[in-house]
Amino acid sequence: MNTVSLKFSIMVTTVALAAMLAGVWLAEIYRQHDSRAMLLPDRVMTLFPEPKPLTAFALTDDKNRVFDLASLKGKWSFLFFGFTHCPDVCPTTLAVLARARDNIASNKVGAEDIQFVFISVDPNRDSASKLRQYVEYFDKSFVGVTGDNAQIGNLAGQLGATYQVAITPGLENYPVYHTTAVFLVDPRARSHAVFTPPHDAEAISKRFKVVRELEAGNAT
Amino acid sequence: MRWRDPVFVCLISALSVVPAASEEAGVSVRDAWIREAPPGMTMMAGYMKMRNNTSRPQFLVAASSSGFESVMMHRTVVRGGMAGMAHLSQIELAPNGSLIFAPGGYHLMLMTPKRTLRAGDPVVINLEFRGGLVLPVTFAVRK
Repeated sequence: MNTVSLKFSIMVTTVALAAMLAGVWLAEIYRQHDSRAMLLPDRVMTLFPEPKPLTAFALTDDKNRVFDLASLKGKWSFLFFGFTHCPDVCPTTLAVLARARDNIASNKVGAEDIQFVFISVDPNRDSASKLRQYVEYFDKSFVGVTGDNAQIGNLAGQLGATYQVAITPGLENYPVYHTTAVFLVDPRARSHAVFTPPHDAEAISKRFKVVRELEAGNAT
Repeated sequence: MRWRDPVFVCLISALSVVPAASEEAGVSVRDAWIREAPPGMTMMAGYMKMRNNTSRPQFLVAASSSGFESVMMHRTVVRGGMAGMAHLSQIELAPNGSLIFAPGGYHLMLMTPKRTLRAGDPVVINLEFRGGLVLPVTFAVRK
Protein backbone atom coordinates (compact mmCIF):
# COMPACT_ATOMS: atom_id res chain seq x y z
CA MET A 1 0.00 0.00 0.00
CA ASN A 2 1.51 3.32 -1.00
CA THR A 3 1.50 6.40 1.24
CA VAL A 4 -1.37 8.11 -0.55
CA SER A 5 -3.74 5.17 -0.29
CA LEU A 6 -2.66 4.56 3.32
CA LYS A 7 -3.47 8.17 4.14
CA PHE A 8 -6.75 7.77 2.35
CA SER A 9 -7.62 4.63 4.33
CA ILE A 10 -6.80 6.40 7.59
CA MET A 11 -8.98 9.31 6.54
CA VAL A 12 -11.88 7.05 5.60
CA THR A 13 -11.57 5.14 8.88
CA THR A 14 -11.47 8.39 10.85
CA VAL A 15 -14.55 9.71 9.09
CA ALA A 16 -16.38 6.44 9.63
CA LEU A 17 -15.47 6.43 13.34
CA ALA A 18 -16.55 10.03 13.72
CA ALA A 19 -19.86 9.24 12.03
CA MET A 20 -20.38 6.26 14.36
CA LEU A 21 -19.61 8.34 17.43
CA ALA A 22 -21.94 11.08 16.19
CA GLY A 23 -24.61 8.43 15.71
CA VAL A 24 -24.16 7.15 19.26
CA TRP A 25 -24.24 10.71 20.57
CA LEU A 26 -27.38 11.57 18.61
CA ALA A 27 -29.09 8.39 19.81
CA GLU A 28 -28.30 9.41 23.38
CA ILE A 29 -29.65 12.94 22.82
CA TYR A 30 -32.70 11.40 21.21
CA ARG A 31 -33.25 9.16 24.23
CA GLN A 32 -32.78 12.03 26.66
CA HIS A 33 -34.87 14.67 24.99
CA ASP A 34 -37.60 12.71 23.33
CA SER A 35 -37.82 12.85 19.58
CA ARG A 36 -37.37 16.65 19.46
CA ALA A 37 -33.67 15.95 18.90
CA MET A 38 -34.58 14.26 15.65
CA LEU A 39 -35.35 17.65 14.24
CA LEU A 40 -32.17 19.35 15.45
CA PRO A 41 -30.38 20.86 13.63
CA ASP A 42 -32.08 21.43 10.32
CA ARG A 43 -31.62 23.76 7.37
CA VAL A 44 -35.37 24.34 7.06
CA MET A 45 -36.29 24.80 10.69
CA THR A 46 -34.59 25.54 13.98
CA LEU A 47 -36.56 24.03 16.82
CA PHE A 48 -35.78 25.72 20.11
CA PRO A 49 -34.72 23.22 22.79
CA GLU A 50 -36.72 25.23 25.34
CA PRO A 51 -39.73 27.06 23.85
CA LYS A 52 -39.72 30.63 25.14
CA PRO A 53 -43.00 32.03 26.54
CA LEU A 54 -43.89 35.35 24.95
CA THR A 55 -45.04 38.26 27.11
CA ALA A 56 -47.72 40.92 26.60
CA PHE A 57 -47.86 42.95 23.40
CA ALA A 58 -50.68 44.94 21.81
CA LEU A 59 -51.23 45.12 18.06
CA THR A 60 -54.28 45.53 15.80
CA ASP A 61 -55.52 43.12 13.15
CA ASP A 62 -56.81 43.86 9.65
CA LYS A 63 -60.38 44.19 10.97
CA ASN A 64 -59.26 46.74 13.55
CA ARG A 65 -59.54 44.26 16.39
CA VAL A 66 -57.02 43.84 19.17
CA PHE A 67 -54.31 41.33 18.37
CA ASP A 68 -52.40 40.50 21.53
CA LEU A 69 -50.84 37.62 23.46
CA ALA A 70 -54.29 35.99 23.86
CA SER A 71 -54.64 35.93 20.05
CA LEU A 72 -51.69 33.55 19.90
CA LYS A 73 -53.09 31.11 22.45
CA GLY A 74 -54.87 27.90 21.54
CA LYS A 75 -53.43 27.84 18.02
CA TRP A 76 -50.16 27.30 16.23
CA SER A 77 -49.17 30.60 14.63
CA PHE A 78 -46.87 31.18 11.68
CA LEU A 79 -45.62 34.76 11.90
CA PHE A 80 -44.01 36.63 9.04
CA PHE A 81 -42.80 40.24 9.21
CA GLY A 82 -42.97 42.34 6.05
CA PHE A 83 -44.78 45.22 4.34
CA THR A 84 -47.22 45.49 1.43
CA HIS A 85 -44.96 47.67 -0.74
CA CYS A 86 -42.55 44.73 -0.92
CA PRO A 87 -42.60 43.39 -4.50
CA ASP A 88 -40.31 40.39 -4.22
CA VAL A 89 -39.70 38.69 -0.86
CA CYS A 90 -43.12 39.20 0.77
CA PRO A 91 -45.39 37.95 -2.03
CA THR A 92 -42.99 35.06 -2.64
CA THR A 93 -43.03 34.05 1.03
CA LEU A 94 -46.80 34.49 1.44
CA ALA A 95 -47.43 32.36 -1.67
CA VAL A 96 -45.22 29.63 -0.16
CA LEU A 97 -47.05 29.88 3.17
CA ALA A 98 -50.42 29.62 1.40
CA ARG A 99 -49.25 26.38 -0.22
CA ALA A 100 -47.90 25.13 3.12
CA ARG A 101 -51.30 25.82 4.66
CA ASP A 102 -53.02 23.85 1.89
CA ASN A 103 -50.68 20.93 2.56
CA ILE A 104 -51.39 21.05 6.29
CA ALA A 105 -55.13 21.38 5.68
CA SER A 106 -55.11 18.23 3.55
CA ASN A 107 -53.69 16.26 6.48
CA LYS A 108 -56.22 14.43 8.65
CA VAL A 109 -55.52 16.73 11.63
CA GLY A 110 -56.31 19.65 9.34
CA ALA A 111 -55.66 23.36 9.70
CA GLU A 112 -58.26 24.28 12.33
CA ASP A 113 -55.55 24.79 14.94
CA ILE A 114 -53.23 26.98 12.87
CA GLN A 115 -53.15 30.62 11.82
CA PHE A 116 -50.87 32.60 9.53
CA VAL A 117 -50.12 36.14 10.60
CA PHE A 118 -48.49 38.75 8.38
CA ILE A 119 -47.12 41.53 10.58
CA SER A 120 -46.52 44.78 8.73
CA VAL A 121 -43.52 46.69 10.05
CA ASP A 122 -44.67 49.65 7.94
CA PRO A 123 -47.82 50.96 9.71
CA ASN A 124 -47.19 54.31 8.07
CA ARG A 125 -48.35 52.93 4.71
CA ASP A 126 -50.21 49.76 5.72
CA SER A 127 -53.70 50.51 7.01
CA ALA A 128 -55.99 47.74 8.29
CA SER A 129 -58.06 47.73 5.10
CA LYS A 130 -54.97 47.62 2.90
CA LEU A 131 -53.58 44.73 4.94
CA ARG A 132 -56.90 42.86 4.67
CA GLN A 133 -56.90 43.24 0.89
CA TYR A 134 -53.26 42.17 0.74
CA VAL A 135 -53.27 39.04 2.90
CA GLU A 136 -56.59 37.60 1.72
CA TYR A 137 -55.28 37.57 -1.82
CA PHE A 138 -52.88 34.83 -0.74
CA ASP A 139 -55.30 32.97 1.53
CA LYS A 140 -58.67 33.96 2.95
CA SER A 141 -57.63 32.72 6.38
CA PHE A 142 -54.45 34.82 6.61
CA VAL A 143 -54.46 37.60 9.18
CA GLY A 144 -52.77 40.97 8.68
CA VAL A 145 -51.53 42.71 11.80
CA THR A 146 -49.79 45.97 12.54
CA GLY A 147 -49.66 48.61 15.25
CA ASP A 148 -47.48 51.33 16.63
CA ASN A 149 -43.76 51.04 16.15
CA ALA A 150 -43.00 50.33 19.82
CA GLN A 151 -45.43 47.39 19.91
CA ILE A 152 -44.20 45.94 16.62
CA GLY A 153 -40.70 46.24 18.07
CA ASN A 154 -41.87 44.56 21.25
CA LEU A 155 -43.12 41.40 19.53
CA ALA A 156 -40.29 41.37 16.97
CA GLY A 157 -37.74 41.68 19.77
CA GLN A 158 -39.23 38.78 21.69
CA LEU A 159 -39.07 36.56 18.62
CA GLY A 160 -35.64 37.76 17.51
CA ALA A 161 -37.06 39.25 14.31
CA THR A 162 -35.03 42.13 12.92
CA TYR A 163 -36.29 44.93 10.69
CA GLN A 164 -35.53 48.52 9.80
CA VAL A 165 -37.83 51.09 8.23
CA ALA A 166 -35.79 53.82 6.60
CA ILE A 167 -38.46 56.52 6.38
CA THR A 168 -37.02 59.33 4.31
CA PRO A 169 -38.80 62.68 4.10
CA GLY A 170 -40.02 63.32 0.57
CA LEU A 171 -39.35 59.76 -0.56
CA GLU A 172 -42.56 57.82 -1.08
CA ASN A 173 -40.88 54.49 -1.73
CA TYR A 174 -38.57 54.45 1.27
CA PRO A 175 -36.70 51.23 1.85
CA VAL A 176 -37.72 48.66 4.44
CA TYR A 177 -35.41 45.88 5.54
CA HIS A 178 -36.79 42.86 7.33
CA THR A 179 -35.96 39.33 8.33
CA THR A 180 -37.25 36.72 5.91
CA ALA A 181 -37.55 34.03 8.57
CA VAL A 182 -40.97 32.65 9.52
CA PHE A 183 -41.58 32.27 13.25
CA LEU A 184 -43.60 29.42 14.73
CA VAL A 185 -45.42 30.16 17.98
CA ASP A 186 -47.07 27.23 19.75
CA PRO A 187 -50.62 27.16 21.22
CA ARG A 188 -49.19 28.14 24.61
CA ALA A 189 -47.89 31.37 23.04
CA ARG A 190 -44.28 30.25 23.21
CA SER A 191 -41.70 30.96 20.56
CA HIS A 192 -41.26 27.38 19.41
CA ALA A 193 -39.30 27.30 16.17
CA VAL A 194 -38.11 29.39 13.25
CA PHE A 195 -38.17 28.53 9.56
CA THR A 196 -35.19 29.86 7.66
CA PRO A 197 -35.18 30.91 4.01
CA PRO A 198 -35.23 29.89 1.24
CA HIS A 199 -38.74 28.76 2.11
CA ASP A 200 -40.35 25.70 0.62
CA ALA A 201 -44.00 24.83 1.20
CA GLU A 202 -43.51 21.06 1.35
CA ALA A 203 -40.56 21.33 3.74
CA ILE A 204 -42.44 23.70 6.05
CA SER A 205 -45.62 21.63 6.17
CA LYS A 206 -43.73 18.38 6.72
CA ARG A 207 -41.70 19.82 9.60
CA PHE A 208 -44.76 21.40 11.13
CA LYS A 209 -46.76 18.16 11.11
CA VAL A 210 -43.95 16.44 13.02
CA VAL A 211 -43.67 19.28 15.55
CA ARG A 212 -47.43 19.32 16.10
CA GLU A 213 -47.50 15.55 16.59
CA LEU A 214 -44.65 15.72 19.10
CA GLU A 215 -46.35 18.45 21.08
CA ALA A 216 -49.67 16.59 21.06
CA GLY A 217 -47.74 13.61 22.48
CA ASN A 218 -46.14 15.76 25.17
CA ALA A 219 -49.44 17.28 26.22
CA THR A 220 -51.08 13.95 26.95
CA MET B 1 -27.42 24.50 -28.82
CA ARG B 2 -31.15 24.13 -28.52
CA TRP B 3 -31.47 27.77 -27.58
CA ARG B 4 -30.40 28.81 -31.07
CA ASP B 5 -32.48 26.22 -32.88
CA PRO B 6 -34.58 28.25 -35.37
CA VAL B 7 -37.72 26.23 -34.62
CA PHE B 8 -37.28 26.82 -30.91
CA VAL B 9 -36.63 30.52 -31.42
CA CYS B 10 -39.82 30.75 -33.51
CA LEU B 11 -41.68 29.00 -30.73
CA ILE B 12 -40.37 31.48 -28.20
CA SER B 13 -41.21 34.32 -30.52
CA ALA B 14 -44.76 33.06 -30.77
CA LEU B 15 -45.05 32.64 -27.03
CA SER B 16 -43.25 35.61 -25.66
CA VAL B 17 -42.71 37.85 -28.66
CA VAL B 18 -38.94 38.02 -28.65
CA PRO B 19 -38.37 40.08 -31.78
CA ALA B 20 -35.69 39.55 -34.36
CA ALA B 21 -33.80 42.45 -32.81
CA SER B 22 -32.92 40.23 -29.86
CA GLU B 23 -30.89 37.91 -32.05
CA GLU B 24 -29.13 40.81 -33.72
CA ALA B 25 -28.42 42.27 -30.32
CA GLY B 26 -27.01 39.01 -29.16
CA VAL B 27 -29.15 39.02 -26.06
CA SER B 28 -32.13 36.72 -25.75
CA VAL B 29 -34.76 36.58 -23.06
CA ARG B 30 -37.12 33.78 -22.14
CA ASP B 31 -39.52 32.83 -19.35
CA ALA B 32 -40.36 36.48 -18.77
CA TRP B 33 -43.11 36.81 -16.17
CA ILE B 34 -44.60 39.19 -13.67
CA ARG B 35 -46.05 38.03 -10.38
CA GLU B 36 -49.72 38.95 -10.15
CA ALA B 37 -50.19 41.36 -7.24
CA PRO B 38 -52.95 41.53 -4.65
CA PRO B 39 -55.62 44.10 -5.58
CA GLY B 40 -54.68 47.71 -5.02
CA MET B 41 -50.96 47.03 -4.72
CA THR B 42 -48.65 49.36 -6.57
CA MET B 43 -45.46 47.31 -6.46
CA MET B 44 -44.87 44.33 -8.69
CA ALA B 45 -41.82 42.36 -9.74
CA GLY B 46 -40.75 40.99 -13.12
CA TYR B 47 -38.54 37.96 -13.64
CA MET B 48 -36.81 36.43 -16.68
CA LYS B 49 -33.90 34.44 -17.99
CA MET B 50 -31.42 36.47 -20.02
CA ARG B 51 -28.70 35.11 -22.20
CA ASN B 52 -25.80 36.91 -23.80
CA ASN B 53 -25.12 35.16 -27.11
CA THR B 54 -22.05 37.22 -27.89
CA SER B 55 -18.45 36.99 -26.79
CA ARG B 56 -18.56 40.55 -25.39
CA PRO B 57 -20.08 41.61 -22.06
CA GLN B 58 -23.52 43.26 -22.40
CA PHE B 59 -24.91 45.78 -19.96
CA LEU B 60 -28.58 46.20 -19.13
CA VAL B 61 -28.74 49.89 -18.21
CA ALA B 62 -32.48 50.62 -17.97
CA ALA B 63 -35.97 49.22 -18.39
CA SER B 64 -39.22 50.97 -19.14
CA SER B 65 -42.81 50.12 -19.93
CA SER B 66 -45.92 52.02 -20.93
CA GLY B 67 -47.75 49.68 -18.55
CA PHE B 68 -46.10 51.14 -15.43
CA GLU B 69 -45.24 54.52 -14.08
CA SER B 70 -41.66 53.41 -13.60
CA VAL B 71 -39.45 50.37 -13.85
CA MET B 72 -36.23 49.89 -11.91
CA MET B 73 -33.60 47.20 -11.77
CA HIS B 74 -33.28 45.70 -8.32
CA ARG B 75 -31.68 42.88 -6.48
CA THR B 76 -32.88 41.51 -3.17
CA VAL B 77 -29.91 41.38 -0.85
CA VAL B 78 -29.68 39.95 2.65
CA ARG B 79 -27.51 41.74 5.17
CA GLY B 80 -27.39 40.94 8.86
CA GLY B 81 -30.32 38.56 8.46
CA MET B 82 -32.49 41.27 6.89
CA ALA B 83 -33.60 41.35 3.28
CA GLY B 84 -33.69 44.63 1.45
CA MET B 85 -33.51 45.85 -2.09
CA ALA B 86 -30.45 47.21 -3.78
CA HIS B 87 -31.10 49.52 -6.70
CA LEU B 88 -28.83 48.74 -9.64
CA SER B 89 -27.83 51.27 -12.26
CA GLN B 90 -26.64 48.54 -14.60
CA ILE B 91 -26.47 44.77 -14.75
CA GLU B 92 -23.63 43.05 -16.54
CA LEU B 93 -24.19 39.97 -18.65
CA ALA B 94 -20.92 38.07 -18.97
CA PRO B 95 -19.78 36.99 -22.46
CA ASN B 96 -21.86 33.96 -23.50
CA GLY B 97 -23.30 34.01 -20.00
CA SER B 98 -26.78 33.70 -18.57
CA LEU B 99 -28.42 35.66 -15.82
CA ILE B 100 -31.58 34.61 -14.07
CA PHE B 101 -33.97 37.14 -12.60
CA ALA B 102 -35.86 35.17 -9.95
CA PRO B 103 -37.69 35.67 -6.64
CA GLY B 104 -35.22 36.54 -3.90
CA GLY B 105 -32.61 37.83 -6.35
CA TYR B 106 -32.51 40.04 -9.42
CA HIS B 107 -35.87 41.48 -10.44
CA LEU B 108 -37.41 44.36 -12.32
CA MET B 109 -39.34 46.46 -9.84
CA LEU B 110 -42.52 47.59 -11.54
CA MET B 111 -44.16 50.56 -9.91
CA THR B 112 -47.77 51.70 -10.20
CA PRO B 113 -49.36 49.68 -13.01
CA LYS B 114 -51.51 51.83 -15.29
CA ARG B 115 -54.29 49.23 -15.15
CA THR B 116 -55.05 46.21 -13.00
CA LEU B 117 -53.00 43.29 -14.24
CA ARG B 118 -54.37 39.79 -13.93
CA ALA B 119 -52.84 36.40 -14.60
CA GLY B 120 -52.63 35.86 -18.35
CA ASP B 121 -52.22 39.53 -19.25
CA PRO B 122 -49.22 40.36 -21.44
CA VAL B 123 -47.08 43.43 -20.67
CA VAL B 124 -44.26 44.71 -22.87
CA ILE B 125 -41.14 45.93 -21.08
CA ASN B 126 -38.35 47.55 -23.04
CA LEU B 127 -34.90 46.47 -21.92
CA GLU B 128 -32.26 49.04 -22.74
CA PHE B 129 -28.66 48.00 -23.24
CA ARG B 130 -25.46 50.00 -23.33
CA GLY B 131 -24.83 51.03 -26.90
CA GLY B 132 -28.41 52.16 -27.44
CA LEU B 133 -30.11 48.88 -28.17
CA VAL B 134 -33.67 48.52 -26.90
CA LEU B 135 -35.13 45.04 -26.64
CA PRO B 136 -38.92 44.86 -26.21
CA VAL B 137 -39.90 41.75 -24.25
CA THR B 138 -43.42 40.56 -23.53
CA PHE B 139 -43.84 39.50 -19.93
CA ALA B 140 -46.76 37.27 -18.96
CA VAL B 141 -48.57 38.02 -15.73
CA ARG B 142 -49.05 34.90 -13.67
CA LYS B 143 -49.84 33.82 -10.15
